[in-house]
Amino acid sequence: MSDASPVLRLEGVVKRYGDVPALDGVSLAVQGNEYVSLLGPSGSGKTTLLRVIAGFEVPDAGRVHFNGHDVTGQPPHERGIGFVFQNFALFPNMSVLQNVTYGLINADKGAVSPAEAERRALAMLEMVGLSGLEGRSTDQISGGQKQRVALARTLVKGPKLVLLDEPLGALDANLRARMRNELRSIRQELGVTFLHVTGSETEALAMGDRVAVLDRGRVLQIGAPDTVYHAPETPNVARFLNRYNLFAGTIPAQGQFAGPFGTVSTPPARPADEALYGIRFDRMIVEPENPAAPAPALHATFRASEYLGSSVVSFFEGEDGRIVETEHHMSMGAPPEFLTGQRYTLRWDPDHAIVFGQSAAG
Amino acid sequence: MTDKSASRAPAKDLAPAPAPAVAASPGRSGEGTAWLLITPGVIWMTLFLVAPILMIVYVSFWTQTTFAINPTPTLDSWRDFFTSSTYLNSLWTTVRIWLIVLAATLLVGYPAALFIGIFVRSRNLSIALLIICVIPFWTSFLIRVLAWRPMLGREGAINILLQKFGITSAPIDVLLFSQLSVIIGMTQIYVVFMVGPIAFMLSRIDRNVLEAARDLGAGFGRIFTRIILPLSLPGVVVGSIFVSVMVLGEFATSAALSGRQVNLLGNIIVTQVGSLKWAFASVVGVVLTVIIGIVIAMLLRVVDLKREL
Repeated sequence: MSDASPVLRLEGVVKRYGDVPALDGVSLAVQGNEYVSLLGPSGSGKTTLLRVIAGFEVPDAGRVHFNGHDVTGQPPHERGIGFVFQNFALFPNMSVLQNVTYGLINADKGAVSPAEAERRALAMLEMVGLSGLEGRSTDQISGGQKQRVALARTLVKGPKLVLLDEPLGALDANLRARMRNELRSIRQELGVTFLHVTGSETEALAMGDRVAVLDRGRVLQIGAPDTVYHAPETPNVARFLNRYNLFAGTIPAQGQFAGPFGTVSTPPARPADEALYGIRFDRMIVEPENPAAPAPALHATFRASEYLGSSVVSFFEGEDGRIVETEHHMSMGAPPEFLTGQRYTLRWDPDHAIVFGQSAAG
Repeated sequence: MTDKSASRAPAKDLAPAPAPAVAASPGRSGEGTAWLLITPGVIWMTLFLVAPILMIVYVSFWTQTTFAINPTPTLDSWRDFFTSSTYLNSLWTTVRIWLIVLAATLLVGYPAALFIGIFVRSRNLSIALLIICVIPFWTSFLIRVLAWRPMLGREGAINILLQKFGITSAPIDVLLFSQLSVIIGMTQIYVVFMVGPIAFMLSRIDRNVLEAARDLGAGFGRIFTRIILPLSLPGVVVGSIFVSVMVLGEFATSAALSGRQVNLLGNIIVTQVGSLKWAFASVVGVVLTVIIGIVIAMLLRVVDLKREL
């Protein structure tokens, strides 16, 4: 599926704004014909990373290799890397067709004749499902259509790598779901590499062949979505996934964790600075209050629940005031009814836990 | 027509307002406010613009004798204007100077606006630069014009410098009291009216749009001709209207700097009014107003401002 040499390789890329490092030594390799989603909270440096790759920003240190060449100092119009902006950035003075032919006709290198450009542009517009809208101006089309024009405009140049900066952020919810599928199928059909930046963990997991998690200018983890989901390597990855209840506590001995739910034996801890115990929302079992339940058992008060269609997420308040979430999938049967203000005991299989930290003993 | 729609809109907005006082007479109070807002402007413009213009047109057909004028209708003044080579030359000079100054302000102003609107990334800095452009206006118009004399004269700063550095051996006479000095003076005064609107339009261009064009492989030249220039055209048109209206009606710069070598229509009006030739001055005024009207109409055809702004 992927070529032997990576299409994009970053080596220790550093970019500072003043004293604040936006990128703090990012190294990353992206293969050909691959969909990589880059998950990061706002301020994690994900947009800066894309801008460095595209050439809009020059890194303070580190190298950017694209297609086997070092392109670190090359200006963007000589790189041949596609960039799809979050706000689409269509040329407002041009029609849909002119937007798509612009890059073919006006390129400094490898420009084609207007007739050939139009032929390619029409084919690309057909592929993204915009046939018949060629003559429209960019303010006469919907958000989803603008997204497709932006995509067609970039893809018609035949780039090996396309960078997408929160491409679905400006779309409404049901359009977002549809564009997810379309982005994936368009990418597969053309065999180009997509690097897709997003702040949404569901989007990152759903779309990427691989998911890279970025935090404070560093790549924390990169791997297949299910690996990242099931086995986050650092506490922050678990946090960004937004699927884990995380409890602070101590590790009295290797293979043990003492938290608000008692002291339990655990799988081996992943090294981290803080001692954290993570258990996924959907692993939680809610039982009637039972003060005598053996650890792990968390006594908590039901506060509210949220119906999500395929599942129900319930919010409990622990004795320390922290909110604990549980998720019940509808495929497991009708959700149990909880009474607001009523106390329950939350339990789980300790083998499913993920533990971070170092044992107190060293 | 516009008054009507303007008065309707606020009425509609006020209708669902919860305040009982407004709800009691929803349409009337909103409409009343709208009429109240427009009234001072309408009165002012009628008294001091529309009425005088109509009066000027009327007076241009009055009968003029050497020291008196009476309302007997005649075409004499009009005939005089269009048969005299002096006045037709002045008409041509006015159009020529206008075209040259328009081109010069565009040539000097556009790059400056491009720098301020596109290349300066900080919003504060670009506003500061625009304010610097306006600094000459802190002094009076007359001083600004007269200050060119010690600058451009035979013994002026430019000639002294040129000779000091050995670029010329004798002072250049054409710098002052010539058509050139009028053009230099006018360009300097009016260029800021070109820079402002263009810089405003340029600063509204989404940076991502320019970056997208670069990413698609276009160098600056192609980005400029296909994206920046078309998007800045409304600014060029508005700036051109400002400059045109002011230059076509000019008389002070040419009076101060041309040494009577450049006679604009504005100068003729001043002279004729000075010698109490009201009818003839009115003819020139009407001609000038018509020219300005035609120029504005032509400029507005270049872009659809309603759509672009």
